[in-house]
Amino acid sequence: MIEVNALAKSFGDVQALSDVTFRAENGQITGLLGPNGAGKSTSLRVLYGLVKPDAGSATIDGVDVIADPRAAQSKIGVLPDNQGLYVRLTARDHIYYFGRLHGIDENVLESKTNELIKLLDMASIADRRVDGFSQGEKTKVCLARALIHDPPNVMLDEPTNGLDVMTARAVRDLIVELKRRDIAVLFSSHVMHEVARLCDQIVIISDGRVVAQGTTDEIRSQASEQNLEEAFIKLVEAV
Amino acid sequence: MHPIRVVLGKELLDGRRDRRALMSAFIFPFLAPILVYAMMTAMVNLSSQAQKTIIPMVGIEHAPHLIAWLKEQNVSIEAFKGDPQAAVRDKKKDLVVIIPQDYEQRMANAKPVAIELVSDGSRTDARPAVSHFQGLIRRYNNNLASLRLIARGVAPEVMSIVVVEGIDVASKQQRAAAALNFIPLYIILAAFVSGMGIAVDSTAGERERKTIEPLLINPIERHDIVIGKWLAASLFSCLGMVLTLVLCVLAMSQVPLEEIGLNFHVTSNQIVLMIIATLPLGFLASSMQMLLGIFAKSFKDAQSYIGILTMLPMLPFLYLTFSPIASQDWMYLVPLLGQQILLSEVLGAKAVPLIAYFYSAVSGLVAGLGLVMITARLFQKETIIRG
Repeated sequence: MIEVNALAKSFGDVQALSDVTFRAENGQITGLLGPNGAGKSTSLRVLYGLVKPDAGSATIDGVDVIADPRAAQSKIGVLPDNQGLYVRLTARDHIYYFGRLHGIDENVLESKTNELIKLLDMASIADRRVDGFSQGEKTKVCLARALIHDPPNVMLDEPTNGLDVMTARAVRDLIVELKRRDIAVLFSSHVMHEVARLCDQIVIISDGRVVAQGTTDEIRSQASEQNLEEAFIKLVEAV
Repeated sequence: MHPIRVVLGKELLDGRRDRRALMSAFIFPFLAPILVYAMMTAMVNLSSQAQKTIIPMVGIEHAPHLIAWLKEQNVSIEAFKGDPQAAVRDKKKDLVVIIPQDYEQRMANAKPVAIELVSDGSRTDARPAVSHFQGLIRRYNNNLASLRLIARGVAPEVMSIVVVEGIDVASKQQRAAAALNFIPLYIILAAFVSGMGIAVDSTAGERERKTIEPLLINPIERHDIVIGKWLAASLFSCLGMVLTLVLCVLAMSQVPLEEIGLNFHVTSNQIVLMIIATLPLGFLASSMQMLLGIFAKSFKDAQSYIGILTMLPMLPFLYLTFSPIASQDWMYLVPLLGQQILLSEVLGAKAVPLIAYFYSAVSGLVAGLGLVMITARLFQKETIIRG
């Protein structure tokens, strides 16, 4: 379970977060919606243990991210905004590297890696260097290395961004599979239909604060709009 | 596996696969000994060249007495035909001497004789031969003058009122030893060149490729990441230094140094001690480069900073070359300076106190560790993940 409470953070003069509170339950998919610069990535980075908030708290399965970032980090799998890869390493090298950084036993590392390669349908690229991979192939490598340690919580920052239809669908299928495994999935997106179809809970952030949260139906009725996109625009512009 | 080992393993794998960086890292250790060999050989040849020069001469037949005297002085003479000025200008000859037809006749009448010496003043390599010949003629002139004075009943000393007596303290060996200073410089430069690829790639490169954010989300301490990267870069750096040292010593042993009376002899014990004393420099160079790499936003950015950094080992080199000083114990404690002094002294067959090895090893390591701690601290900053 992922929880943030009254997060506030400023970078210099810019108030990135002023009041962000939400939670993502196990076995549920929680969507983080908001315009660019609303504070989605900053909220997620607080949860990754990369950014210290000025105020508020963040916990992963009850572990305080600020007080014990390493313990919290071991409970999360992350597809960050920056999906950088090491061009001279193969897909498998990446998965091994992150697996070892998570302290996974060498005896099970190979079998776990093979499982993920199968799950993400990337057997044909597993032993190739990532230099020259398509965006979809890169995203698969990033997902695989994020999931190698069986994290009970998964956070994905715009996971389908820039993907072709096939890969985007594969990612959505993966998200549903993670939910089936009782994992808390938190992801940010711009794609309304994706959010409407997948999410059990939606959190709308605008200008550094949460402006609405609930199920798709609750959001729609809160804005008295039939369509999630219209509801989103109305709620964001009301701020 | 400890996280430091995980990071180290990954960086070494990444570094090994970077063929271009690997090439530029390890071409230097092979280039340096070639340079040393060429330079030392040239020096040996140059100093034995002056005595061996064959002097091309026009009109040998006009001055049999002079020629006989010159031959006594171990000078070889060959007859020259053609245009002397053109031959010197085209660098076919270093110098040509022209003896006038009326040499004997003027000599017999005790009139001054002008011998022409054709040379190219801009050619440094011809200078020793030219001045050697001029010196010989001066001596011949003085000999004859003295004889003539004696024949007239005058003591030759009246000619010598003030004389300069040069005392050159630099022996040939010492001049050669000054050239030996290049070896320590090359070894120290190797420390900076060989580990640079990894040091920059694992800092500035990691930021540029935006791999730093996913890396830092892993549950490991930042200082473990920094130390792992540091060890990887240092390993490459140390490898480059050892290669340079061993290959340079090998190259030196091939130069006929005994021809100029230089006794170059390095024992395997000394090599081991030199390696121990200087290897920490590999760790220091890598830590400097990583620190700069952290500040840089891109690989290119970092390379331009680090290019300037590489000038750093030149400073003690220039200092030692232009103001040679007697070494004092504290100097071994100054990173870069200490190692350079130590290496020059060992290679120049001077006695080096054992404490010096210890000092220079410790100073490099302590400075390196200090810089790595600063780098690790910078890794804690939130701004590190921003491109």
